[in-house]
Amino acid sequence: MINILLAGVGGQGTVLAAKVLAQAAQDKGWSVRTAETIGMAQRGGNVVSHVRMGNEGESVLSPLIAHKSADLIIAFEPGEAARVLPYLAPGGLLVSATSALQPVTAALSKKPYSAVDMLEGIKRALAQTSAELVCVDDAALCAEAKTRKVLNTILLSAALSCANVNLSLNDLRAAIQACVKPRFVDMNLAAIDIVEAASAKE
Amino acid sequence: MTKQLLMGNQAFAHAALEAGVRVVAGYPGTPSSELVETVAHLHEKGAAQGVHVEWSTNEKAALELAAGAAYCGARALFTCKQVGLNVASDALMSLNYVGVKGGAVLFVADDPGPISSQTEQDTRRFASFAKVPVLDPATPEQGFAMMQVAFDLSERYRTPVIVRPTTRICHASTFFDVADQTQARALPEEGFEPDPRWIIFPRRAYLGHGEINDRLKDMAHDFAHDEQFVQFNTMFEGGTSGRSDRAGTPRLGIVAGGVSAAYVQDALSELERRAQKANVSLPVYRFWQVGTPYPFPEDLATSFAAGLERVIVFEELDSVLEDEMLMHAGRTHASYEVLGKYTHDTRDRGENDLDDTLLRLANYLGVDALVGCMSMSEEQESLMAKVPIRPPVLCAGCPHRGSFYAIKRALGKTEAVLCGDIGCYTLGNAAPLEAIDTCLCMGAGITMAQGFSVVEPHKKQVAFVGDSTFFASGLTGVANAVYNGHDITICVLDNSTTAMTGSQPHPGTGVTLMGEHRPPISIEAVLRALGVKCIEHADPLNLEESLAAAQNALNYAGPAALIFKSPCIQIVKPGVPVEIDTEACTGCKKCITEIGCPGIGFDPQARGAKSKERGQAFIDPTLCNGCNLCWQVCPFDAIAPSAPLDTQQTEQSTPVSVHESAVKEARND
Repeated sequence: MINILLAGVGGQGTVLAAKVLAQAAQDKGWSVRTAETIGMAQRGGNVVSHVRMGNEGESVLSPLIAHKSADLIIAFEPGEAARVLPYLAPGGLLVSATSALQPVTAALSKKPYSAVDMLEGIKRALAQTSAELVCVDDAALCAEAKTRKVLNTILLSAALSCANVNLSLNDLRAAIQACVKPRFVDMNLAAIDIVEAASAKE
Repeated sequence: MTKQLLMGNQAFAHAALEAGVRVVAGYPGTPSSELVETVAHLHEKGAAQGVHVEWSTNEKAALELAAGAAYCGARALFTCKQVGLNVASDALMSLNYVGVKGGAVLFVADDPGPISSQTEQDTRRFASFAKVPVLDPATPEQGFAMMQVAFDLSERYRTPVIVRPTTRICHASTFFDVADQTQARALPEEGFEPDPRWIIFPRRAYLGHGEINDRLKDMAHDFAHDEQFVQFNTMFEGGTSGRSDRAGTPRLGIVAGGVSAAYVQDALSELERRAQKANVSLPVYRFWQVGTPYPFPEDLATSFAAGLERVIVFEELDSVLEDEMLMHAGRTHASYEVLGKYTHDTRDRGENDLDDTLLRLANYLGVDALVGCMSMSEEQESLMAKVPIRPPVLCAGCPHRGSFYAIKRALGKTEAVLCGDIGCYTLGNAAPLEAIDTCLCMGAGITMAQGFSVVEPHKKQVAFVGDSTFFASGLTGVANAVYNGHDITICVLDNSTTAMTGSQPHPGTGVTLMGEHRPPISIEAVLRALGVKCIEHADPLNLEESLAAAQNALNYAGPAALIFKSPCIQIVKPGVPVEIDTEACTGCKKCITEIGCPGIGFDPQARGAKSKERGQAFIDPTLCNGCNLCWQVCPFDAIAPSAPLDTQQTEQSTPVSVHESAVKEARND
């Protein structure tokens, strides 16, 4: 069983990312199930998508991932990465964007919201564990892609480049061609190339 | 056949179409809306032949329309969310007495949590109250199968049938094989046949009640013995009984319904796996999923309960199965003990989940040691305390923000009660707008304001209502205000769509799901026809205009209306973001504390000539869509507008195809 959790803010594109992952799992012949936050919470609230894949031929019934059992978490925002940390499996991988989205509640309060604090806090929380945090400079990568619409594909690519979930960037490319609207396919494929080139440089 | 990744609701639409449904009508409501949208999409593509699909004005209209279609012998499907059935309940109660001819299925989506609803009511309970059978899927696949047999069941017993999934079934996706083309089932030649039985009279109701009681008994039998339904009532044994060293018959039973059945089965597999690894044995247990909760399949309960000493029940919302097991124990003088919500052995409200189910099952089976420590480390806990809350908010550029702000400004220190309603604009309750004092149910704002005005006439009474809600259930309230002469101000927030549920068209848009366009029903003409004499208009993103209109409407003695018209930002192209002039921004935070737009943040580290050490506001250009409200609010001209207000409004005034957004695939989301 591979459990992948996507966490972000309504409107960031987690739903499509979950769909792409489900397609990639299906192409591998695995059973797969996803669950989304839809409705009121989507209006700028925190949202999560659960993707569960039966990569060893097992059936998957529950749509939701249990705490401490996500092999991979892809967070679209640092505060949202922190919020879903209880889901991370011991030895799991957390891939997080570094750009913050300041909630109105934080703008109104006297205490400022700092993405750096969040990421530092995550590092501290993971220090004594075998789980790992990988930060993705989403601002730079989206700038290179010239649109933030591909944030989801950039994060998926970055995550699959370093996660041990038996899904490659080529699997991602095939899944995007299969389930993203034709007029958006090239833009998303280009985003994968950008991440691939960036990780080759490292 | 094509294999497709479908969300539960999309799959249920395919299932109904494959079952030959001819008429589909509903009113949007999370988590139910995608079913009707999918039927509309497939109809538009030409894949669903012979089907009529519509968003009706409200749930009552939709169910009555579906009933008429079913009287003719057509297969008809009604959809709504759980609270929508309250609106349609008048029709449902009598419809069951009258009976149907063509299959009539009610798809009613429940929302444990609740995640997007005002109540945690249980439609299984509603079904038993209305004496209508109900099917309750554990997975989207099971829901797919249930949608198909529901039509057969309806026709076999001439009864309406409810299919009740919950949010986690409706919004879970998996792959389905679905037909590429569907055709509505042929209508019976004779069509509608006039007969006294279609007319509900006291005498007819008495006879009908007998028919209902008889068929409920027959259906309970079918649910226990007919393979078509037994497949939804899975029973199996596990623990050491699953192996060769079978240790007697089970003493422990587990009953589950809905998505909880999936959680229980996954948790049991997990416990079996862990037990094997730790070389401990699980006690033998018997599991039963009840997919047909009403009428309760008594015969299955008897086979399930044989030899059991304890039974634990996992279900969300009400204690429906728990009650049935208690009654079964009483009726059969059985001695088994029932654990569940009443005994605090399962959650009494909210959603169930895998974590909780695993813990409780491990405890029930006496293998607590198999569940490790679930608590967080100290570092994790201190991090959690710092994570900012991120409640849903009105979108950046949402015209409702301007409407609320204008009313608040126009009222100033005047005492007022602001009655809200159901829709995106309920979010006007949040700081800093705090422009909603009440929210009860669809259409209640207008009528509740009248109650406030009777008792507290010294205060201003303002009611907010969205355009879709206005048509769904606002009209009677307006008529009441005019008829009884109540001094209220009705603010219609007309954003040309049903925004909260995903941009569905409604009578005020003139767009229908069948692809026709007809003249929209004018909200102003309706208000005028109902006798409202004072009707003001304003563009909510034009502050000056909105303030003037608000003053006029508030000052009018008697029922007055103010129509705030500006399209939802989800259906128009975003404008150019505004910019902060860092030389001019004083860091006064007024743009934040007055209107609370998610597109504006505050950076305490920013420095400028005027702001000194205070920090400065900043615009998130990925969120800002250039509505310019903040520009009008800033007292220091520190925000550069995205475009002169006049030109921008005309550019924005035409919504892009409302119908196009009916199925949300269009967005990169």
